Amino acid sequence: MNVIDQRIHQVLDGELAAEAVPAELRRAVAQLAAAADLLAAPPAGAVTSLESRVMAELRRPAPSRARRVMRWLVTPHAIILRVRPAWSVAFAAVVAAFTLFTAGQEGPEPAEHEGIAQFVGRFPEAQSVHAVGTFNDWRAGSIALEDQDHDGVWRATVLLPTGTYEYMFVVDGERWVPDHLAERLVADDFGRENSIVIVRPDRR
Amino acid sequence: MDVRGAPPDAEVVALVLAGDTEAFGFVIRRYEAGLLRFAARMLGSRDAAADAVAESFVRAYRHLASCREPARLRTWLYRIVTNRCKSHLARRSVADVSLDDAPPVADPADTEADLERADQLVLVERALADLSPDKREAFVLKHVEGLSYEEMAAVTGERIPTLKMRVHRAREELLKVLEDHA
Amino acid sequence: MKRWVVLGCAAFLAVPLAAQSVRGRLSGRIPSEAIPAVDSLIQFASQEGLPTEPLIQKALEGGAKHVTGPRIVAAVQVSLGQVRGARDLLVHAGDPPPVLPAEITTVAWALRRGLPASLVERVVAALARPPRAAALHAVADLVAHRFDADSAAGLIIEAVHDGVPQERLLDVSTAVLQQVQRGHTRAEALAIVRRDLPNLPAVSKPTRGTVAGARRPASPAQP
Repeated sequence: MNVIDQRIHQVLDGELAAEAVPAELRRAVAQLAAAADLLAAPPAGAVTSLESRVMAELRRPAPSRARRVMRWLVTPHAIILRVRPAWSVAFAAVVAAFTLFTAGQEGPEPAEHEGIAQFVGRFPEAQSVHAVGTFNDWRAGSIALEDQDHDGVWRATVLLPTGTYEYMFVVDGERWVPDHLAERLVADDFGRENSIVIVRPDRR
Repeated sequence: MDVRGAPPDAEVVALVLAGDTEAFGFVIRRYEAGLLRFAARMLGSRDAAADAVAESFVRAYRHLASCREPARLRTWLYRIVTNRCKSHLARRSVADVSLDDAPPVADPADTEADLERADQLVLVERALADLSPDKREAFVLKHVEGLSYEEMAAVTGERIPTLKMRVHRAREELLKVLEDHA
Repeated sequence: MKRWVVLGCAAFLAVPLAAQSVRGRLSGRIPSEAIPAVDSLIQFASQEGLPTEPLIQKALEGGAKHVTGPRIVAAVQVSLGQVRGARDLLVHAGDPPPVLPAEITTVAWALRRGLPASLVERVVAALARPPRAAALHAVADLVAHRFDADSAAGLIIEAVHDGVPQERLLDVSTAVLQQVQRGHTRAEALAIVRRDLPNLPAVSKPTRGTVAGARRPASPAQP
């Protein structure tokens, strides 16, 4: 446990006066307060007000009944089912049998030294998103992400030889964006950061 | 942007519920800066934050009648934004930290103090992003948005001791990072 | 005798042919005035038995990102320095020359990801048998999440010695990070995972549907 002196918490929670604690604790209090101030400061660059965007949405006439039904049909909903275990086992068996019989009829079979790489990014306004990196000699076009349900989330699942790759997303053919979901980032020596994907062997 | 002289929240809510859609503009102008800052800190992206807050305002407008205490509109709005951020994080679609969100490239006119401040901000933002969502939420509500523990409880639906513990743990983790880099 | 002559001719021809193919890959992809300098850096690497692919990729990346020729050359020079440094580290750690190019690339990755050279050397020396890619990435993952570097390396080395297979070493770092997400401190998380070694939590594999939906990129990929 990385526990700090409780008096630091008491000062920050307003339960104890700062003057009542030793200087080294006051320094910790000041460090945390300064961090909070930095986070609270307005961000650099202009911030566009949301008012016109939100008000335009609110002023739009209410959708027709048919449109509301359509929207309900295409929106994800959480459904709670209460099923007797016997029925769910039977259902699972049917699904499993169906899957086994139909498996292998679509998609390429991963080879021994191949694995699956999944690329996901949220780009609500994008017209196109590509994964570009050492897996395709940094050429756009070979791995296009898709947003089939138009929710702004773009995805691609590809088979690649196992190994470590650097890449970025190219949005609308011109904007280079790192994939922060990748969690592994490395300086690209051109002033930006590439994401890293490690493809591990994965056989069907 | 100036909202001084605007009617209090309870009156604005009454106006909107009476059919004056335009009065909702007061609500947006009054709270968007804080909500945007909160969502950006939670999601790590200004674009995603703008989407989350805009969706929250639309939702708030549509469900305004269910705001039982119009005088506490602020906490109610934070609750909606909190939920939007959580579902956003649960979908793990926070990969949209675009280059627009990256720290600005140093300007030759920046003073040394500006650069140091920018470096420190990057450090603090990374440390914040490393916290679990619960702890991040608690720290930001408490220290960035300045909510009381009672207000935080109303926003998150958690008990005050739980929130206090989360804030304490967040402070400890952040302080460790700050001291390591001091 | 005849066979040696053929082999000699092949070796004699191999270097110029490789040079041609490198120029072919770079042609039209980076500013033409940068090609001679980049090409000669790649030839240096090739003559020293160093992997050339990282250098070629760096040049292609610069071209794709519309970086100027001089900056591309500078970045390729940095890459050459990195693979040389990685080779020297491996030799120093006890790998007999000629060092495997794949291991050089692996160590160059680890250094680029910010691991201190002394730590990389410690991991390499402790894991005598290549490949060490998974081990070094696992350590780098933990260090990137601000774990103490020595403790992170210690855990991964211990995992290898306890019989955790190569392909599961990244699951060790993932397991540690999961413990932190559950609210444990970093030290506690390391201790919990170490205690359970060589057992690791099951990893979620891609579903059959995901695998079926996977496709190969339009152009061939090389690691």
